[in-house]
Amino acid sequence: MNHASSNSLVIAEAAKCIGCKACELACFAVHNRDNGVGTAVGTVTMPVLPRLYVIRTDSFTMPVQCRQCENAPCAGACPVQAIRQQDGVIAIDAEACIGCKACALACPFGAISLYKAYSGGAELPQPLLQERRDSKLQRKTRITAYKCDLCRNTEIPGGSAAGGDAGGRGASAAAAQDRNPYPACVAVCPEKALQLVEVGTGSSRSLNREGVIF
Amino acid sequence: MRSSEPIIHIDPELCTGCRRCAAVCPVDAIIGEPGRPQEVDAHRCVICGQCVQICTAYAPDHLEPADGLKAKRLQRGQLPSVREPLFAAYSTGQALGVKRALADSALYKVVQCAPAIRVSLAEEFGLPLGTLTPGKMAAALRRLKFDRIYDTNFGADVTIMEEGTELIGRVMSGERLPMFTSCCPAWVKHAETAAPELLDHLSSCKSPMQMVGALVKTYGAKQDGVDPAKIYSVAVMPCTCKEFECSREEMEVDGLREVDVVITTRELAHLIKDAGIDFMNLPDESFDSPLGLYSGAGSIFGVTGGVMEAAIRTGYELVTHETIPNLQLDFVRGEEGLRTATVQLGELELKVAVVAGLKYVSAILNQVKAGQCPYHFIEVMGCPEGCVSGGGQPKLLLETMRKSAYQARKSSVYRHDSHQQVRKSHENPAIIKLYKDFLGEPLGHVPHHLLHTTYQSREKAVSPISAGREGGRI
Ligand code: SF4
Ligand code: SF4
Ligand code: SF4
Ligand code: SF4
Repeated sequence: MNHASSNSLVIAEAAKCIGCKACELACFAVHNRDNGVGTAVGTVTMPVLPRLYVIRTDSFTMPVQCRQCENAPCAGACPVQAIRQQDGVIAIDAEACIGCKACALACPFGAISLYKAYSGGAELPQPLLQERRDSKLQRKTRITAYKCDLCRNTEIPGGSAAGGDAGGRGASAAAAQDRNPYPACVAVCPEKALQLVEVGTGSSRSLNREGVIF
Repeated sequence: MRSSEPIIHIDPELCTGCRRCAAVCPVDAIIGEPGRPQEVDAHRCVICGQCVQICTAYAPDHLEPADGLKAKRLQRGQLPSVREPLFAAYSTGQALGVKRALADSALYKVVQCAPAIRVSLAEEFGLPLGTLTPGKMAAALRRLKFDRIYDTNFGADVTIMEEGTELIGRVMSGERLPMFTSCCPAWVKHAETAAPELLDHLSSCKSPMQMVGALVKTYGAKQDGVDPAKIYSVAVMPCTCKEFECSREEMEVDGLREVDVVITTRELAHLIKDAGIDFMNLPDESFDSPLGLYSGAGSIFGVTGGVMEAAIRTGYELVTHETIPNLQLDFVRGEEGLRTATVQLGELELKVAVVAGLKYVSAILNQVKAGQCPYHFIEVMGCPEGCVSGGGQPKLLLETMRKSAYQARKSSVYRHDSHQQVRKSHENPAIIKLYKDFLGEPLGHVPHHLLHTTYQSREKAVSPISAGREGGRI
């Protein structure tokens, strides 16, 4: 293991972002192929659940997403160790997640959200709990935490071709075999406001700083 | 009257003001400050729906009360069963009315499908981009309880007969050249708004959709022995502007609307899902005759250059009385916004131009105004790659797929053509029979009554801002 190597992350340049939310939509699309989400909007049968959020203030818009913190506080807060460091990404094991919200509270960036879990495009029921809905007792829907996983294990159709050099420095193949070199948000952003930044793979600290701080 | 209601809208609650729609709008109809909700100038808007295709600002439905979303769907004319996300830029739909009519046994329900539907409908069910499913589409329409499954491609073949004859006449007499095609309602509306003084350069032909509409309530009604007044005529179109076209006052035959209602590719998918039809496992079925039989030339109307290619295949043979040596006319295929070529038709050197995307047309219009336009025949399609890229087509979740989606739909259209036995409009036996039994000669008395139209100047009286208000809000 190379001590210098750190987790990559996607960062946004607020000055370029026009707030179109294409990044949110793309993020949702590539993470829900198992839910029958195809290429066309018409294939979507569930709410759009992205893993990054375009925030809006009076003076700027830009997406916020997980910084893949080296000492991830979310992982420290998780009582069931559902959050792990895997292949250079802080990843949530959705099946292990108990929906306790500790990670969401611990994240200094608000990069984690809790939503209903879906399977095959329909709500995934919780095995034990029931709740009263439409005056009937029904199985409660499973809730799970969602966060940016740098499009690990996803395929971005047309992504690398259209993304061109949009991925900033791009990922070194050795660092992430199963990670897409162009996360979906980076690939689709029409303003190239997003960049995948590799930290610590360069030879000097100044290069690192340049990569992280604009 | 329906045509006075705007079809393209921007939902001020959802619009983030990114103005990507303004960047694709070919006629600068989207007005607003960056970062603020935008409005559509209904006067300028040509209803092409390119803004609807590009907008990615969706309603975060998990954050909004379900009632609010329900109300929005209703306002947009969507079936309550639709689950897909709602976006800021949208077109109002007609699926609710069509569903009601389909349940009405007193009506004789006739449907026609544009060439570009069969290469894109399957995308709404998760099949790969451009999957070609004419058979499943016909089967689905039959399951939806349409009494007759007809085809706009048939109308495209009729268009070639009429427009081709018109062109040859104009070239021979040297009158009103260049002649522009008139199949694309967005282009027609743009010409009426931006260049009313050039309207007599447009072919007087109605679009293939309206031609089929007119024939359904005359020739088709006679063939089927039904009362034309009982016919409910639906068209499935890749185009958001076709609803505007079918509502135009002049689109009437003997006091009846030619096409009663238009739905888009996306709305047809909604109706199929709503009826619980398992699209993926439908068998291949055929279209009904006579208005469902088409040639390869009719099917390529769905792509840019298609009308031109179909016209040349027939025009060549009508002028030279010889068989055209090559049916695949690569010089008009392609994706550039403006393509030009010279075609040798016997003695005649026909100069043609193909315009894909309205933003490329103004240079040509200026040339015509200045009397310096070298072309005889100009095809104009409002959308960037012709109808395969229309505003009513399946909307993509990822912008990175746009190029390959258009490419896949296009090659599917060409593949469909190359597999047809008959590939020239004038050789389509159903067309030959139609002229023999019913229409007589192209441009003759009956065709003139049923298949040709006139245009109206839409030169501006209202101020753009107030029109924008009217267009942008409901
Ligand atoms: S896609 Fe780019 S421009 Fe659009 S909201 Fe995301 S970061 Fe901003
Ligand atoms: S979720 Fe928050 S705390 Fe956890 S790694 Fe990402 S940014 Fe850091
Ligand atoms: S309508 Fe859509 S594309 Fe246009 S500005 Fe609003 S959010 Fe952006
Ligand atoms: S429908 Fe077409 S013309 Fe109208 S606003 Fe949208 S892009 Fe512009």
